[in-house]
Amino acid sequence: MSASTTHNPGHRRTWLQIAIYGAVCLTIFLVPTILDNDFLLNKYSRYLVFGILAIALSLSWGYCGILNLGQAASFGLGCYCMAMALKLRTVPVHTGDDGLPDFMVWNNVTELPWFWVPFHSLPFALFAGIAVPTVLAALVGWFMFRARITGVYVAIITLASLVVVNLLIIDQQRYTGGFNGITDLAQLELFGLTFDAYSRNSYYLVASVLAACLFAALAITKSKTGLILQAIRDHEDRVRYFGYDVAHYKIFAFSASAAIAGIAGMLYTIVMEFASPTFLDVPLSLSVVIWCAVGGRQSLLGAALGAIVVTGTQGALSDSGIFLQSWTLLMGMIFVASVLFLPKGLAGLAELAGERLRRLGRDTPPPVKTDVLGPVREGEGLA
Amino acid sequence: MDFVLQQLFTGLSIGSILLLVALGLWIVYGTMGVINLAHGEFVMLGAYTAWVLQSVFQVGLFASLVVIFFVVAFLGWIMERGVIRYLYRRPLDTILATWGLGVITQQVVRLLAGGELRYVEMPSLLAHSTTILGVELSVYRIFIFVVVAGLLALTWYLMQRTAIGMKLRAVLQDREVASCFGINADRIYALTFAYGAGLAGLAGALVSPLKSVSPEMGTTYVVDAFMVVVLGGVETLMGTVLSAFLLGELTGFIAYLQNDTVAKALVLVAIIVLIRFRPQGLFASQVRA
Repeated sequence: MSASTTHNPGHRRTWLQIAIYGAVCLTIFLVPTILDNDFLLNKYSRYLVFGILAIALSLSWGYCGILNLGQAASFGLGCYCMAMALKLRTVPVHTGDDGLPDFMVWNNVTELPWFWVPFHSLPFALFAGIAVPTVLAALVGWFMFRARITGVYVAIITLASLVVVNLLIIDQQRYTGGFNGITDLAQLELFGLTFDAYSRNSYYLVASVLAACLFAALAITKSKTGLILQAIRDHEDRVRYFGYDVAHYKIFAFSASAAIAGIAGMLYTIVMEFASPTFLDVPLSLSVVIWCAVGGRQSLLGAALGAIVVTGTQGALSDSGIFLQSWTLLMGMIFVASVLFLPKGLAGLAELAGERLRRLGRDTPPPVKTDVLGPVREGEGLA
Repeated sequence: MDFVLQQLFTGLSIGSILLLVALGLWIVYGTMGVINLAHGEFVMLGAYTAWVLQSVFQVGLFASLVVIFFVVAFLGWIMERGVIRYLYRRPLDTILATWGLGVITQQVVRLLAGGELRYVEMPSLLAHSTTILGVELSVYRIFIFVVVAGLLALTWYLMQRTAIGMKLRAVLQDREVASCFGINADRIYALTFAYGAGLAGLAGALVSPLKSVSPEMGTTYVVDAFMVVVLGGVETLMGTVLSAFLLGELTGFIAYLQNDTVAKALVLVAIIVLIRFRPQGLFASQVRA
């Protein structure tokens, strides 16, 4: 058994991948042992949450070719589900009889609306934080992919859906807190642990979920379903000719990605201690695309690291306005360059370097074709 | 009766601004297939050029319109030559690249002009209102309507009655054959893109007295304009015109019944449904093979 795994290059690759993924996760877990600063840990947890969000997009965009510009909708719905549950757990001061959230009192709502009631139960909220985005994505996916909508139109529909959800949340101020969002939340208590945003507990929670999502997504991409998803990305019609129900697989990838984004959203509420309509606005949604493109959309780990590095640098520079501006400018340039020349992002570069190194060690001639730069050549014929 | 007219004029006013912004986008998307998310940034650049001309050089809005058109068209030309021409065969990537270019443009403007809101003065000649058919209307909005009609006529003339328009139509039908006949397709694309950018710049300059000027102002316009183009279909200029006024009237009407936010959300839902069932647009004629 072990002999066959070492001789099959595909399996060797997989083991190497698992080793690298594991090493990165371990490093993330070890950060609090050398860093004793709750403020910084909170910041880092935020970046890790964005990493999870990038994994979600990588799964649908990098592995199935669905450019979802509305990823923030799933993320934001997760945020709001968690925020609703935590809001109901606060001790109401001058509110109505059954602990009505403060903003409802300000908006003259006298009774808790029906869709808020089940959020008294934490397990329900945790379930809803995953189920609501997943079901919504499945519906939108069914609506699009059954009609064989592809490419640019998918991008437009997902973007428009995001704007609709965002507008509705802002508009229904009585039930959602409108522009202000849902603030002043209780701390999450689960399994006897309290997850204070500025504590190691929260950091470890986020890190564990990141690792779980990373490996779950990796398992999906390595499964037979994952291979079909990649085949759909590369040549949808051919997969259809083989008799596969393409729409079916696309809906799966789209909803699985939404589920991961929903989980990330719930964590974000815990780390930020509020939910706001800016968590599901267009700029955030498009930023996710940047993280994935820079890190490497076709690598789950690359996408996650892309998100962590980009937002991390942004956060480090945020004290100084002029540096932050220049960094955003630089990010835009790197993004455009990666779209033009590096469709696989930094992960593609790393892969290429690894390949070169290995061949150098074995003393074999370099590869004839490197597909990292492939699509650009195709376009150059036009210029 | 007054009320109906009032609603009608509100819709026309919204529609004319929509059309103004969408016209440049339609030319670039409809003829070149490039989804230009940086279009909103051209609008923003036009508004900033107007602001610079007014506050630094004390030039009024009327006098600066031509300058603004050429400045923004030139910037568009640079963008096309520098980045977009490499992406004509990768439509999905043009979304990403143009959005990245948009981010870059926004940051450059923010670094140069600062992030605070800027204001452009309305020409005093037009800063009053008048009564038509018993309805009180802002003269400036009527002016925008007239300018849009003029630009529309100009665009139609350029496309249908000039040598360059004919070359553009030839390249669209068959790029290779057109090239065989000695048409420089590269140059045609660059000029078309520059023209679209220039129109966006004009749009920005014209709306700047109505709204404040900020680095982020383009984002809202590009989404709306994009919906106009998608709704109208890429085939005909007329489709874009009809859809702009349809959306304008619809938004105005729903906004009266509910509010602005609900109106926008409902219009977006309608467009999503439309893309699903008629991706070629509402006003597209039978598609030729």
